[in-house]
Amino acid sequence: MNPLLATFVPEARDLLQAAASGLLRLERSTGDRALVNEVFRAVHTIKGSSGLFDAAALTRVVHAGEDLLDGVRAGRVGLTPEMVDLLLDSLDQAGRWIDSLEREGRLPGDADSVARRIAAGLRARMSADAAAPAADGTAEGAGDVAAWLHTLDASGRDAAAGGGALLSVRYAPDVGCFYRGEDPLNLFRQVPDLLALHVTSATAWPAADELDPYRCNLVFQALTAAPLADVEHMFRFVADQVEITALPAAPETGGGQMLQRIIAGQRRILGMPAGVEETRQRIAAAAGALGNLIHAAGLPGGASALATAVAEASRDASPAPLLALLDRFSQPAQADGLPEARQAPGGDVPAAPARPSGDAAGEARPAARVLKVDQSRIDQLMNLIGELVVSKNALPFLARRAEEVHGCREMAREIKEQYAVINRLAQEMQGAIMQVSMIPVSEVFDRFPRLVRDIARKLDKQVELVIDGGDAAADKAIIEALGDPLLHIVRNALDHGVESPSQRKQAGKPPHGTLRLAAHQDGDQVVIEVSDDGHGIDPARIRQSAIDKGVVDASQAARLSDQEAVNLIFHAGFSTASEISDLSGRGVGMDVVRTTADRLGGSVGVTSRPGEGTCVRLSLPLSMAVTHVMMVEVCGTLFGIPMDAVAETVRVPRDRIRKIRQAEAFVLRDAVVPLVRLADLLGMDAASPMDASGGNAAEAVLVVRVAGATAGLVVDRFREGNDVILKPLDGILAGLPGYAGTALLGDGRVLPVLNLKELM
Amino acid sequence: MALRMDGDRLHMEGECGVEEALDLLGHMAGLTPPEVDLRRCTHMHTALVQVLAACGTVPCVPPEDAFLARWLMPMFGARPGGP
Repeated sequence: MNPLLATFVPEARDLLQAAASGLLRLERSTGDRALVNEVFRAVHTIKGSSGLFDAAALTRVVHAGEDLLDGVRAGRVGLTPEMVDLLLDSLDQAGRWIDSLEREGRLPGDADSVARRIAAGLRARMSADAAAPAADGTAEGAGDVAAWLHTLDASGRDAAAGGGALLSVRYAPDVGCFYRGEDPLNLFRQVPDLLALHVTSATAWPAADELDPYRCNLVFQALTAAPLADVEHMFRFVADQVEITALPAAPETGGGQMLQRIIAGQRRILGMPAGVEETRQRIAAAAGALGNLIHAAGLPGGASALATAVAEASRDASPAPLLALLDRFSQPAQADGLPEARQAPGGDVPAAPARPSGDAAGEARPAARVLKVDQSRIDQLMNLIGELVVSKNALPFLARRAEEVHGCREMAREIKEQYAVINRLAQEMQGAIMQVSMIPVSEVFDRFPRLVRDIARKLDKQVELVIDGGDAAADKAIIEALGDPLLHIVRNALDHGVESPSQRKQAGKPPHGTLRLAAHQDGDQVVIEVSDDGHGIDPARIRQSAIDKGVVDASQAARLSDQEAVNLIFHAGFSTASEISDLSGRGVGMDVVRTTADRLGGSVGVTSRPGEGTCVRLSLPLSMAVTHVMMVEVCGTLFGIPMDAVAETVRVPRDRIRKIRQAEAFVLRDAVVPLVRLADLLGMDAASPMDASGGNAAEAVLVVRVAGATAGLVVDRFREGNDVILKPLDGILAGLPGYAGTALLGDGRVLPVLNLKELM
Repeated sequence: MALRMDGDRLHMEGECGVEEALDLLGHMAGLTPPEVDLRRCTHMHTALVQVLAACGTVPCVPPEDAFLARWLMPMFGARPGGP
């Protein structure tokens, strides 16, 4: 991908996100000027940068949005929820186009017509709300070009008659254009090959003392020999206020000559003295024009040279690199290309750029502190560190060999010392890398204000979203996997939890419900809670529904406690919605939540109080990169058990094990803990326990907590804990139940890591 | 220093930006508007053009800048390129 585009795409996405969330906040506090400005700036920036690419439709849409926001900012237009809908939709469309720019480098074929429709919609809002004087300006004077041509002075007519394709440009600037930093006259100064320019007032001038100098009351009519693409590009930000008409003329102008003219024109623009901001805009404009030029003329190596020059130029806010590039392009035809440029007004070429570049360097430097790194590079680092951790685990084995096989005690001790150092460094490194790939939960939370608003509007409910603790961070993979389950939870809460305003009033609650998204870190877990103040989950209804759907039978249902009944919502194929809605209630939602949580090594729970609300609680590990496992030995084979499942290790004297029917159990601190023999679970051919433990009178029991229940796991022997990089089973083993994956041990052995939830 | 009063003559010099518009209007809307000298004006923001046009100003000295002289002077009721 073009490097410019590569920077633009993520930046534009950030800006779109910022604009959308700003809009949502704005909807609640309409008068917040800072907020309007924030949204406006985001949209404005997208508009500016989009001009660099072949994305006129995108520019048109964001521009229309920008104008509407400008109206809001100036207080000419009042922001209504419908308007917010419209703006959000256009931002969505812009987002889709940016996706398509990233994928295919261009916009889809229908972009132009879509853009026209959206822009018209946005503009309609504006003119419906404000007495849009700009609109009638363009409508009434719909460019009677022929008539105007007659009013041209002699030189203009000569030019018009002199052959070459001519364009008539009629530009009726919006009355508020000065407030947006536009200078229409300056635009015309930049039009290459301007043959005629006629400036008139749009309406009769008021008396001098009644004149508002900041309301534009001028209409520009111009004639140019420049190519249509250039002129369109030049006026792309005011496309709706400009009419460009091609005038029939004898085709003549040679390509080479045209090329030189454009180069000269661009040189003139870039050479004009300007402030930093203006210089940047000019660079952007020139980049677009030159891009087209290179494309049209097929200049060898032009595109990449341009990209480099533009990147340098915009970094330094100095047109010098572009001017150098222009020199290169115009070299072969120097004779007719350069002199014109030299005479250009204000053509103090070498001196002018020096000043802005100095300013910009001073301003720009402190900002460049954030590095955007490709995810795959982080993953690669992560893998390397993983390998390092595994290799370092080989050292203790080496130490033991040195001592046992070669009898070098001294050597063994030194190896162990070195191991301690490497171990510490590896752990720090691991921690540092994990920090890098940690992102705040707000990354997923950020999309909810919009979502909640849309769903609530669709359901005719009033919901206020409260977000807490968005800065709690977790591994990127975890955060990204969180999106879907959260979506289901939130949809469920809105659809089934929060009541309609009238129902709420009857229940004596405020008409608008509150949905709370909260995150906090709890040990090495990140806990995310979604709670609402709706009517809660009715255990009786859940029981009935579960029976109807065949999830449990009547007698089972009767035995369930209320909490257990509520937990049934996580069962596959369960949905309480009496009628399936568009949003949730397809019987997959909460099931997906549980599956995802399980897959990520986390858990999900729900608590509900009838009439008061529901709270769904998701606990997920902070990072998936390194798993702490407890190693145990069964029938001579090592197995790993994820440390977060392990509660404690105990030795239970054999006579304390009670037989309860078929099952075994023992009493641990006054609680009965069922015993499970791991060898049985794994279907291993265990010798009689008595023999295996070699006459030992106690069993090694690993007390584990699985899915909220405690159980004792009988193993042959406890081994040390270990940090491993867990690789999921793949290939033909992928479907094997009961295993979370495998890890490589320091001595090269493969350690199967058990998934107790599946196993038990 | 884009606007400079010298006696009863107003010199517009260099890049005259939009921020001068109110100031310029102040000068031009007075009882005795000054003469306007554009000789050293390199660019004039559209808002200023508008003020001059609305006040019916005919600059006494045209700008040296080719663009302004060629295309703006006609608007001020002067022949392009000459006083």
